[in-house]
Amino acid sequence: MTNHLNLRRVRKRVDGKRAVSVAISSVILTAAVIAVSFVVLFWAQYRSSAYNEQYSEAMNSDITKLKERLTFEYIFYNSSESNLIVYLMNWGRVDNVTVQTVFVGNTTWFTTFSNIDLKFLNGTSAQDLDIGEEGYFLLYLPNLVLRKSYSVRVITGRGSVFESTFVA
Amino acid sequence: MKVHLSLKKGLKKLITNPKGFSSVVGTVFMVLVMMILSTSVFLWTLSQNTLYNQALKERNQMELDRLNEKVTAYNVNYTVSGDVVTVEVLLKNEGAISIRITTLWVLDTTIKKYGFNNNLDLNLKPGENISLVNDKAISVELEGANATDTFNSWFVTTRGNAVPLEEEGGIILAQVAAGIGSVSMNYGAFLYYNVSKVGSEYVLDNYPNGSEGFTLPQTDIAFEVCLTNFDRNKREIKLFSSSVLWMLFPISPPQQPRGAKWYIVNVYNNGTIASTFTEVTLSYGVPTRVYFASYNDVNSGGFSPSSSGYSGPAAVNLMLVGKIGNSSYGQNIPFVSVYVE
Repeated sequence: MTNHLNLRRVRKRVDGKRAVSVAISSVILTAAVIAVSFVVLFWAQYRSSAYNEQYSEAMNSDITKLKERLTFEYIFYNSSESNLIVYLMNWGRVDNVTVQTVFVGNTTWFTTFSNIDLKFLNGTSAQDLDIGEEGYFLLYLPNLVLRKSYSVRVITGRGSVFESTFVA
Repeated sequence: MKVHLSLKKGLKKLITNPKGFSSVVGTVFMVLVMMILSTSVFLWTLSQNTLYNQALKERNQMELDRLNEKVTAYNVNYTVSGDVVTVEVLLKNEGAISIRITTLWVLDTTIKKYGFNNNLDLNLKPGENISLVNDKAISVELEGANATDTFNSWFVTTRGNAVPLEEEGGIILAQVAAGIGSVSMNYGAFLYYNVSKVGSEYVLDNYPNGSEGFTLPQTDIAFEVCLTNFDRNKREIKLFSSSVLWMLFPISPPQQPRGAKWYIVNVYNNGTIASTFTEVTLSYGVPTRVYFASYNDVNSGGFSPSSSGYSGPAAVNLMLVGKIGNSSYGQNIPFVSVYVE
């Protein structure tokens, strides 16, 4: 008797148009929410991994920049040939240190060099300096006043700045 | 019991209510997504920051090590042969960390030219001394350099420090010594000993204190002199067994002076005189105690104690024979006088 009553109730619900549309709409809504949620999850994951990558690159760049160390072994100005020779050594903890730009000047004047021809001490061309390697570059500077103090600022490919002074 | 029932009822109502279910699912999903993402990003960022901090720490340590490098290069001596400048120098690591030197720069300020030798591989432990003299001297090619030029030079360490080479403080002493020879004697440390026979061996009494050597007895005595090598070129001096301390007495008539001699000997740490002789080495700048005690050249006649045999004032000559570097060497130091009782 009870089973018969239950069957009638289900049949009534299936036959009832209003109740079916509510159930279907609930299922559709739930499915849509789940689908959108997954889309949001994947999108957020993609964005966060892109952020991670960007952050990682920036961090690695900062870390290698931190490890970059150059020392000025000797700076010599040859007044007869108007040449400034700057001898460097990479004493840092990172290879491939390049010289991007060099500023030479004093408080009232400065000049910039961007095409730096870096060489090893034996005269062979060097793209960069690895750990412990020594090299030099030569700059043509006809305007320096003898016995005056100047500074040399070297900017590396990674953006580190190293500075020293010399007397022409 | 009542609260439990109402909670159960509320939950049932929530589940059976189709209107709020999608919102609940969506909210739960969003919260989960946010939690997962934020946690992973936070942890990852933290790990990256740790890496950065580690690099920063490493760099600070590098700077600290660099600041703690303390090496002294002193007693520098330049010799020029052709276009090659040879630099002799003593190095001392006075810091607490080991140091590696790779390059030596030499600047000739007279002709305004410079040269370098970047093939060095000198490692100094804390407190270690290195003597770069003779065959260990460093050569630097410098075109047009002359021995009379003025030089400046410096070492470069692997931590990027420059170590200037300091001129020797005793340059005047060295020049004076070069005027009269390569060895100087410390007159304040001129001692004599009585020689006793113990068993079959001869021993210096009251060794190593001895007695002041300017007034001394006649019989069975030995002398200790303190010699320092001031050779300009910092070569080692080796004294042969024929080196002798010779005493000259102005006896009347003065045409017939009398003499006494004490040949060089080796003395063990307990004051015993060695029956054989090995060459005595005088390193540059190192005061060395040298003993004269034998009547004979120990290598040719064996050891035998010596006495003056005369009394009164006497002139003492220190006649040194040996090798300096690879060359032969001889020098007479005639400045001491003694009174024999």
